[in-house]
Amino acid sequence: MRYALQKIGQFAIVFFIVTFTVMILMRLGLNAPGDPARTLLGGTADQELIDATTEKYRLDSNPFVQYVFWMTNMVQGDMGFSVPNSQPVFDYIQGRILTTLLLGFYAIFWGLVIAVPLAVRQAHKRDSWFDKFGSGAAFAFVSAPAIVLAPILTILLIKENTIGMPPPFGDFQVTIGGWFPRIGDKVYPWQDLGEHFRNFFVPTLVLTLPIAAIFSRLLRGDMVMTLQADFVTLASAKGVSPRRVLWVHALRNSLFSLLTSVGLQIGGIVGGAIVAEQFFDLDGMGSMLVTAILQKDLFTVQSASAILVGSVVIVNLTVDLMYGVLDPRIRHARAIA
Amino acid sequence: MSDLIQASSRDIDGPLLVLKDVTTHFKTPRGLVRAVDGVSFTLDRGKALGIVGESGSGKTILSRSIMGLLPPRGTVRGGSITFEGREIGNLGRKEMRSVWGKEMAMIFQDPMTSLNPVMKIGRQIAEPLQIHLGMTKQNAWATAERLLQDVRIPEAKRRLEQYPHEMSGGMRQRVMIAIALACGPTALFADEPTTALDVTVQAQILDLLGEQRRDRNMSLVLVTHDLGVVAGHTDEIAVMYGGKLVEKATTKGLFANMKMPYTEALLNSIPRLEDRSHTRLSAIAGRPPDLVNPPKGCRFAPRCPYAQPKCQNEEPPLVPTAEDPNHLYACWYPVGSPENTEIKVRIAASKSEFAAAAGGN
Repeated sequence: MRYALQKIGQFAIVFFIVTFTVMILMRLGLNAPGDPARTLLGGTADQELIDATTEKYRLDSNPFVQYVFWMTNMVQGDMGFSVPNSQPVFDYIQGRILTTLLLGFYAIFWGLVIAVPLAVRQAHKRDSWFDKFGSGAAFAFVSAPAIVLAPILTILLIKENTIGMPPPFGDFQVTIGGWFPRIGDKVYPWQDLGEHFRNFFVPTLVLTLPIAAIFSRLLRGDMVMTLQADFVTLASAKGVSPRRVLWVHALRNSLFSLLTSVGLQIGGIVGGAIVAEQFFDLDGMGSMLVTAILQKDLFTVQSASAILVGSVVIVNLTVDLMYGVLDPRIRHARAIA
Repeated sequence: MSDLIQASSRDIDGPLLVLKDVTTHFKTPRGLVRAVDGVSFTLDRGKALGIVGESGSGKTILSRSIMGLLPPRGTVRGGSITFEGREIGNLGRKEMRSVWGKEMAMIFQDPMTSLNPVMKIGRQIAEPLQIHLGMTKQNAWATAERLLQDVRIPEAKRRLEQYPHEMSGGMRQRVMIAIALACGPTALFADEPTTALDVTVQAQILDLLGEQRRDRNMSLVLVTHDLGVVAGHTDEIAVMYGGKLVEKATTKGLFANMKMPYTEALLNSIPRLEDRSHTRLSAIAGRPPDLVNPPKGCRFAPRCPYAQPKCQNEEPPLVPTAEDPNHLYACWYPVGSPENTEIKVRIAASKSEFAAAAGGN
């Protein structure tokens, strides 16, 4: 318990440092240095409006006061106003946050669903053709981040391509691709599951394949080590079935790198989501953040980054607490620490 | 149904375990490693056999070969292993699973790494009971508690809920024994069960093994490098060197009348309490033979103080002694033979000559 509180404290500090830095940086520079309200409102705003905005959001006070003011308002659902979008930032984010959350969740979820069975089987049949093929594929996808994968998958799955052969080989033509829409109006799972799938499939794939590759490489390595441990041989010598040896005795002892990586990948997913959302015209938080930065939409940038940083921090906090759930030795050490 | 078939195929009166010319070779990039090379012996029910040899003599591989616990890839097995009248030498891991834990069990060397660190002790003991005897979880845990009491672990009920890291090495080895005993196996293989333990705990564990063996009429194969360990806890001893059996006798017979110079060397390398302090420990010079290219003649010849030209060129067969047909040895000039005595006298003479020369200076 004390450990958990300690960790929460640590992560709160991280959250504060990142969000506070974002806030300060947004106050500096831009179009009118030192005058965030003018930047925020654009070049043509009159002085009266600028003064009123400065007054309303306390933009001329000490940064710490501004920070507390910002956070207090944000918790209450007031994130300020987005001038380029002519709507409150809260509404702006609300319409988009779910897309990114779903995308991030799918990326991690499918990454695990693909990687875990693959890695367990690879470790079990080490150095077999299956293992070599799996490692090769994983290596290929590790080296293909979202920005590389997105155009490739677009060509393969979204665009229609006609493949033909010149006459000596026969005159035939096949059309492939065009199976998934490029521009999808966002469809949520509770609206139409099939359409939602078509909508999210390719962007999810773009995010999940590199992640699955990293996960499977890490888990395979740990699992190979674990399978050489004495207790695994003992489990076999007790008459435990190979499947149970793998999934019950060996897997839980091999999850540490994987778990750490889940926490680290969350940060990467935010980056990947920006690429995927831009590329596939899914309007989520990633594309929103990019637009907002370009439009100097100060309040949107602030709040969106606070939410993203908050999610990354929460996932990593969960990961840290999960170590203890996985391994009683860590729980024990934490209890007496 | 299957129980009946199994019961009828069991040979109740015959020996428990018969090995005939068992070989285990490993394919490696360097060549074929002849880890176990033509080992034959018989183990009766309820008896304790010690397999003795230094590291690399093949003793661990032999015990794992009998259990069929070696990785299938790259392993070449030969010969015949009959267990309770049934040939098991050619069975795969799948077929062996019903034997593992139920009829044959194994205790490993290092109790620190042999228990699953993330699983409660109770669950690890209950597992084979649930798998082989079809017990419910509740019954299995109750049995596990009794097993912990059998291996003299105090507060058994509380211990069931603990994890391995909460126990000492000796305690963990007791848990290992409890796991091995769980389904009442007829043969127990203990691979250096006390090597990783404190000297004070070693005797306790060995006594516990002996006591459980007698109570359960179980056969025990005790694999160790320490002749001292097997001396008080076995009925028979098999000495292995370079993947081969080089001497086998009853424990009494072996210590009374050892034939093989290697056995003698092993015994001499045990430090003696009555030695003066600062006595140099006697070790066997040299290294165990390379099992990819073993020596042509006797495998011990390169390290044997009594080796003669014949030993280098011709491999000695495993033959019984004149006095005891059950005492087998493989040596051209066994300890006690006229030739051996003569060489011993010569060595002693040259030693004293050397000492005299050194002293005269």
